[in-house]
Order: sequence, then C-alpha cells, then structure tokens
Amino acid sequence: MNMKPEKIIPPEDEFVIRCPRLGHQISFSYCLHESGKLPCFKILDCWHNYFQVEKYLKETLTTEEWENTFFAPGQPKILTLIDLIQQAKNSKKGKYK
Amino acid sequence: MKIKKIVLPESEMPRQWYNIQADLPTPLEPTLNPATNEPVVPEDLTSVFPMPLIEQDTSQERWIDIPEKVLEKYLIWRPSPLYRAYNLEKYLDTPAKIYFKNEGVSPAGSHKPNTAVPQAYYNKISGTKKIYTETGAGQWGSALAFCCAMFDMECKVFMVRISFDHKPYRRIMMETWGATCVASPSSETNAGRAILANDPNCPGSLGMAISEAIECAVNEEDAKYSLGSVLNHVMLHQTINGLECQKQMKITGDYPDVMIGCSGGGSNFAGMILPFVRDKINGKDIDIIGVEPASCPTMTRGPFAYDFGDTAGMTPLLPMHTLGRNFVPEAIHAGGLRYHGMSPIISQLLVNNIIRAESIQQLETFEAGITFAKTEGFISAPEANHAIALTIREALKAKEEGKEKVILVNWSGHGLVDMAAYDSYLRGNLSNHSLEDDKIQKALEDLAPLPKPKQSIK
Repeated sequence: MNMKPEKIIPPEDEFVIRCPRLGHQISFSYCLHESGKLPCFKILDCWHNYFQVEKYLKETLTTEEWENTFFAPGQPKILTLIDLIQQAKNSKKGKYK
Repeated sequence: MKIKKIVLPESEMPRQWYNIQADLPTPLEPTLNPATNEPVVPEDLTSVFPMPLIEQDTSQERWIDIPEKVLEKYLIWRPSPLYRAYNLEKYLDTPAKIYFKNEGVSPAGSHKPNTAVPQAYYNKISGTKKIYTETGAGQWGSALAFCCAMFDMECKVFMVRISFDHKPYRRIMMETWGATCVASPSSETNAGRAILANDPNCPGSLGMAISEAIECAVNEEDAKYSLGSVLNHVMLHQTINGLECQKQMKITGDYPDVMIGCSGGGSNFAGMILPFVRDKINGKDIDIIGVEPASCPTMTRGPFAYDFGDTAGMTPLLPMHTLGRNFVPEAIHAGGLRYHGMSPIISQLLVNNIIRAESIQQLETFEAGITFAKTEGFISAPEANHAIALTIREALKAKEEGKEKVILVNWSGHGLVDMAAYDSYLRGNLSNHSLEDDKIQKALEDLAPLPKPKQSIK
C-alpha cells in the first residue's frame, strides 16, 4: 500500500506505521483515540506523510477537541508523576475520578 | 589484520557515573510544583522512588560512585564493545571513520538495563520488595524484569493492551525473567477499572499504563515505581556508555568529530554523549546530533521557534503558544527532542546550542538499517536505524568534502524482536511523501510577524 499525502481519507487498519512512543506498528485508528476520546498529540507529526491528516482532523474534531489535543500545555515528566501520585492517593481514599 | 572491535577489559569498566549537572553552562532550574508554586521536594516523590534515586536526580556532584553490586551486574555484558564499521565505510566509499558502540549486547538487547540495574539495586537496599512500571512494546519492561530478577525482586509491568496483544515476545521475555505482565487498562486498579467501565475494549495507552503502575506503587506497602527515561538519574546511569566510549576511543587513537544518537526520551543519546559534552564545554570541537524518530519537515527546514513552559524558562522545551492557530499546531512538530517527554538535560543542551537535532523520514531509516545489516551484520532496532541513517548522511557528506571525519554512533539495541517493522518495509508498505516547499514557506510566512521566543532553536 503506497499512500499519497493528497489523500484526505485515512488509511485502513491494515496500513500500519511505527509508533515512536509505543515502539511498534500501529494503525491510524489507534492514534485517533490514543488519549481516551482524543487523538495522540503526535498524530499529525506521525501521519502527515501518508494523508492529509491535519485537514481530516480539522473536519472531524470539534474546536474544543482540537485545542485539547494540540494546545493543552505540556508539563515536565516530574510534574506528571506528582499529579499521578496525588490521583493514586485520592484513589485509595475512594476519590478516584 | 585490522582491529574490528575495541573491547575493554572488565578491570577498565568505569567505577563512577558522570553527572552533567555539575558542568551545565546553564543549571537546571528546579521544577515548580503548581499546587504549591514551590520547587518539587523529595517528599513529593518518596511514595514512588527510593531516596537514593531522588537524591541523584538533583545531585550536583560531578562523579557518583557506582555501587559494587551494580558493577557486578553490569559485568554480565559490560563493558560493551566499540566497533569500527569498516564494511559500511567501504560500502559508502567514504574517508570517514565510523565507530559504533554496541549497546545491544545486554540480556534485554538494549541500553535500558544500564539504568534498570541501579534502579533495582537502590530499591533493594531501600527496602522495596516490588517494582511497578509501564511499557509499550516492552523494551523498558523487559529490561526492568531482567534487573529485578538479578536482585531477586518482584516486578509487575503494565503493558499497553495493544502492545500486549501484538507484541508477545517481549512479554514472554518479561515472564521468563519472572515478572508479571498485565495488559493495561486492567481490572486490577481503580484507574484501569474506570477506563474499562467506559470502554471494555480500550486498547490502552502509555498514559493509562503509567496511571495504573503509579496507583499500585503508591498504595501498596514496600512497592515503588520505576521509569526508564527522561529523569536525571536515568541519564546519569546511562553515562557508563559514554565513559566506556572515551576509553575505547583513546585506544583507537581517534577522537569523534561527530557524535550521533537517536533521541526518544533521551536516555540512550544522553548516555553516550554526556561525557563528551563535558569535553565540548571544555573546548573540544564536536558536532553532537540527536536524531528524532519522526517529525514534520518544517522543523528541520525552517527556523521553527519554541519557548518554554514556565516563566523561568527552564522547564523542558514546550511549544510557544503565540505562534498562531492557523498554523499546524506546534506540538505536532515536537519530535523527540522537543516535546515534554524529553529529558530536561537534553532539552537544556539543545537550548545552549551544545547539541543539535536532525529528523529523518521513516523510509530512509529502514534503508539505512538494511544497509547496516548487509554490511556490518547487525539488525538494528528501528530506533537505532535513525542514528545509522544520519551516520550514513554524515559519512557521505565527509566524502563530498574529502574529509576524514571520525563519526561515533550509538547503536542502542538490536531489532530481533522488531522484525514486523522490517517486514512492512521489505513488503513496500512504507512510503515517504514530503510536504511541498511552497506549503512550508507559507507556514513560515505566518510565523514572521509573531514575537520571537525568549530562547529559540536555530
């Protein structure tokens, strides 16, 4: 399968590329919902060579979803860990969200 | 007969790790806890890491002794050999001398055990009975499983469901070393159960897996969590690689003009380069290049600007939010060196222009991997192929320039459990289609009137 970047329709699940985060081959449908209901924040970076992923996502995501995916402020890993520690402590107290 | 590989005797294995924090031109600022607006303190992390690792994360000591018990385990595969890539040089008809450091000789097949060994050790002496972690395809999970086995500790790995289902071999490796590997999201944690309640067929993600691992570590007595990249102590442990390289290069009589490594979270790259970065800070002329696994071509073909995530300007590089939203969001251009999953140390070196970044398209990396396999014999992990691809570029550049450059590349692991990726390439299922120049130029024009970031990458 030789995808053209002019294509707007995403490739079928048979077409897989290597995910730099997971370290193995995955299909576009996984990336589209990697972050719960939202796409992976690297989805455009990884798929832009294969079809017009940016155009596709702009047409399919709401403005809020688009912004939550690509404009949510990142944070240092250490702060992510601290957030998760707090969530875990809350979870023990039955406050898991 | 020419010497092909430089093998240090065990007696020459470094006895200390090198801590770049002592020599950074711009020291790392402490990360601020947004809840308190105060720097993160050890107490914030003691529920997941043992104190020796927390202390190493912020240590300013230049040299940190490697415990004897860690050295004993390192000796299983270290010192790792440094190879001269004569066959690749001949194939490329280049005057460059290419050396590659083979970090694929560890039992887990990658550089990851360089930190998994000391992490298991420091947990052991701190009273930890069980270590939790998360993994994707399993490179880190298998490394930690191996090292926990070496210290007779329990290890439980939350493996992203899609990886668990599609990458059985590393899961089996983990289980062979005695670890428990469960698919994430799982029914074993509140986090996992909440996700499964919404979507019973959820394929999982690294974010979900880390939530489960942390939840277990925090709420279980004598349990901790372990991370295989990004954090400063991980970079520290990996420096044994570069320190060995320095001794091995000295034996060859050469010194690298160019150093190349693939940068995901930064640990394999950091491991090789950091001792040489010290040399560079002290006056050596070395071109140190981190290769990004995938990226949009605007990143390397234009003056793409980035800023930091905090007002102090010292957190890992984050996208600048004033770039304008008509442009493809900056986050998506954030390849390995530029997104918040990257090591703060590597990010800082990039800002200080001590290292630089290149990106290479997927197809070229596999072409390079095939060339490397056919000339040097080793089948590289796909990540290592990025470094090989840039090495080939640099060697050909040296040929054009007629320069006998010395190139040192980190070969971070073998690809023997990654053959599906090669299969895709060999069957012609991968392709490259770069964006047209006019599209890139249009995007760059959009950037022109915007304010310049406080620090930018050229």
